[in-house]
Amino acid sequence: MGTQKSSELLPGTLDLLVLKTLGRGRMHGYGIAQHLKLVSEDVLQVGESSLYPALQRLLLNGWVKAEWGASENNRRARYYTLTAAGRKQLDSERHEFDRMVVAIQKVLET
Amino acid sequence: MKFLRRLDYWVNHRRREAELAEEIEFHRVMGAESLGNTTLAREDARAVWIWPWLESVGQDLRYALRNLRRQPGFTLVAILTLGIAIGLNTSFFTVFDAVALRMWPVKDSARLVKILSQTQRFPRPRGFSIAEYRYFAEKTKSLSAVVAMEEGRTRLGFEDFGKTSWTIFVSGNYFQALGVAMERGRGFIPEEDLVDSPVNVAVLSYPLWRDHFGSDPAIVGKEIRVDEVPFTVVGVASEEFTGTMGGREDLWAPLPSMQSLRLQGNTRAHLRKPDFCCSTLAGRLAPGFSRAQAQAELAVLSRQFHDQYQLDPATILLADPSILAGHPKRKTFMPVFALMFAGLALVLLLACANVSNLLIARAAARRREIEVRRALGAGRSRIVRQLLTEGFVLALAAAALGIGLAWKLPAYVFALADDGPNVRLTPDATVILYAAALAAITCIAFALAPALHGTRPKSTTRRLPLRNVLLAAQFAMSVVLLIGAGLMVSAVKHAHDRDPGFRIHDVSVVSFEVPVSSYDSNRTVAFFTQLSKELEGVPEMRPVAITAREPLANSHWNTVFRLPGEPAGTEHDIEYQQVSAGYFDVLGIPFVAGRNFQQGDEARHFVVVNESMAHRYFGGDNPVGKSIVFGMTTSQIIGVARDASLTYVEGPGPLLFTLFKGDQIPKLLVRTGLPGGADIISGMTKRIDPRARVQVSPLVQNLDQQLSGSRVMAGIAGMLGTFALVLAAVGISGVFAYVVQQRTKEIGIRMALGAAPKEVIGLVLSGTARAAIVGLVIGYVTAGGVAKFLAQYLYGVSPYDPKAYAGVAIILAISGLAAAYLPARRATRVDPLSALRVE
Repeated sequence: MGTQKSSELLPGTLDLLVLKTLGRGRMHGYGIAQHLKLVSEDVLQVGESSLYPALQRLLLNGWVKAEWGASENNRRARYYTLTAAGRKQLDSERHEFDRMVVAIQKVLET
Repeated sequence: MKFLRRLDYWVNHRRREAELAEEIEFHRVMGAESLGNTTLAREDARAVWIWPWLESVGQDLRYALRNLRRQPGFTLVAILTLGIAIGLNTSFFTVFDAVALRMWPVKDSARLVKILSQTQRFPRPRGFSIAEYRYFAEKTKSLSAVVAMEEGRTRLGFEDFGKTSWTIFVSGNYFQALGVAMERGRGFIPEEDLVDSPVNVAVLSYPLWRDHFGSDPAIVGKEIRVDEVPFTVVGVASEEFTGTMGGREDLWAPLPSMQSLRLQGNTRAHLRKPDFCCSTLAGRLAPGFSRAQAQAELAVLSRQFHDQYQLDPATILLADPSILAGHPKRKTFMPVFALMFAGLALVLLLACANVSNLLIARAAARRREIEVRRALGAGRSRIVRQLLTEGFVLALAAAALGIGLAWKLPAYVFALADDGPNVRLTPDATVILYAAALAAITCIAFALAPALHGTRPKSTTRRLPLRNVLLAAQFAMSVVLLIGAGLMVSAVKHAHDRDPGFRIHDVSVVSFEVPVSSYDSNRTVAFFTQLSKELEGVPEMRPVAITAREPLANSHWNTVFRLPGEPAGTEHDIEYQQVSAGYFDVLGIPFVAGRNFQQGDEARHFVVVNESMAHRYFGGDNPVGKSIVFGMTTSQIIGVARDASLTYVEGPGPLLFTLFKGDQIPKLLVRTGLPGGADIISGMTKRIDPRARVQVSPLVQNLDQQLSGSRVMAGIAGMLGTFALVLAAVGISGVFAYVVQQRTKEIGIRMALGAAPKEVIGLVLSGTARAAIVGLVIGYVTAGGVAKFLAQYLYGVSPYDPKAYAGVAIILAISGLAAAYLPARRATRVDPLSALRVE
């Protein structure tokens, strides 16, 4: 486990993954990282230094909003929720990503 | 929206960064193994908000600088135009700030108030008698201290002829209550403020100590002579303290010490009588008391005092301790200030309009560049921001130039005026803020419209409507300013040429300086009677007159009188002049009834009045032989002199003459014309008193001096008007050049098809000519409306004086033609072939 490298993400995909994760509901930063790690079966290990700039970028663009709440272990944590604009962005990025993946696969298979 | 969120982040950045840190700390605590550097995470997250923004601003700035550098001519014209306009506005604001906004240079001036009184008879706010001051000072609870001050002209022995130093007589607590820091020694103490045992001590101002006593470190305890009376120096005020009266203040002395000097009027009565006006009063609010409370308490005290001495009831006013607050000339200053602010705002607007015009032309010329950038994916807002950044850079440079101008100009102008207000004229934070605000407004005014205009998609662009609106505005503004200047110039000329009702051209004024302290009123009368008799022995100088003040002396005395039937307390205010019989002869003022003063009238209570006085108070009746109650006695009117503009150029008011009583050192009036006359007068004077000094000057000089204010105003309006006209000419020229350039192809085709040069010029002019005409009409209508308010400064010239209006039309026509000539000529020289090849 300790030897496994966290995979490099395609630029821009982290934002998409975070948006997608938040699509499931309100979550704090650590929760998002845990979720990504769990679902990707430890392939995607996102560090603070890429996760928090990404979250700030989403805040700046108005795609998510943040509010303080109590965490499961009763500490103060900042929870993020998707905004309406964020949901729209998620759809369009998702669409764009699918197109891209199809395109890349086509290139690789020929 | 994104911008607002970014702004919100900047405003709350402290909280937002703390939240981020807390959040990352939470992450670190939750995760057993930390991935990466938390500090770096924080830095990167924060940079999301700031960096791209800063980077793009930096990019815009670099691009703007490069662009401006590429067109040095345009950049220079724009910066100079805006810089001069901002500089003029800021300079004027500096003066306004110094006299009206800035408080006295003393400790905690926010707790100080100027105290003024107002009565039905004297509606103009004024001060109090010394007796009433003492009453206030003793009884008040709401003020921790009350100070009184009063100015007097004195001579310290080093002044030039006719110049005086200003001694301010103050209450004993003045320095201590105001909290004035001392450079040397001390302020006054209460024991030096006892009316019945005056002590001659003085505190020097810093400039006086520096310039005339060589910053003598041992000055305290030394003796100086004020009007030849010894005073002991007890202190020197700090450099920051410029005084509280608004004029120059050279030294301060305790109020009672004025009894040892011979100043105008009766100083003994002055210090004691309850109705002797006026000293300026100020107080420091006691801890826990408000202004309203102080005003209420002073109103009660004033009522008690006025009841006790049967004086008219007075209203108490409290004002900020700035120089202008409660200043007797405030009413005259304020309209002038408003007028100047309005004029300068116009100039700034004009400068903006012009630079705006140049920018529009540039934006149009850069249309191709802008289209390329849009095609490369730049949003319109991004390009507008880019163009605004260029405007911002220009405005910033202009503001710097403007502040530089404001640093030097007011002090320079004030140095030209004698005895101007004594204020610090270096711009302070308020002034710099004002300049910055002006620059910001300017930037938006001149850069936003062209930026929006220039980035509009081509299809929606009409043929430069905005440019024509600006051009019309320029014409209108130069018309207003130039007509104002024209009116002032013809007013000055009119006032100068008009017959003032007395002989002004071959009369000389003789001024004297004698050791005043040894001249009481008897000796003064004797001295000048003897001197004028001797001078009358010289036939060319006859007649000779003694007068307290020569005509148009820029000062006047007032007194009160009543008619015998009227009860005491209903006195009329009237201007008052002390003369000798020769006065009416030398000035050539005839009598319309009765007779002049003559030998033997000295012991009688006789007065002469002028026509205005006779008309106002006696209607159609001949007043000769009637009496008025004046001073302590009943006087008889012996003659009515014809009206003449003796005090003000504007015209005569009611005037009362008595024989000269020696209350002050008078002037003599003699006929000019004898070569070497001044030496003869000086020789005769020195034979009577060798210490006396004499100066002879033509009477007409006083007229010039009275008109100098209007001349300055005409000069300023003319300067601004010319500046405006030059701007307008540059603007017109630029517009035409631009139109020619834009339509080169069209002109080429028309010329190729055989159009005459005249038609081509018409083509170029047609669009702008309409704008110019609309501007002229608006300008004339506005000028007509504004001129009404100038009427009081015009000495009787009609504010609709056709000369000024027609003159401006001619000037504008000439400069308009000149400005259009070069571009128009260029249009007729367009070579059809090369024109068609341009694109």
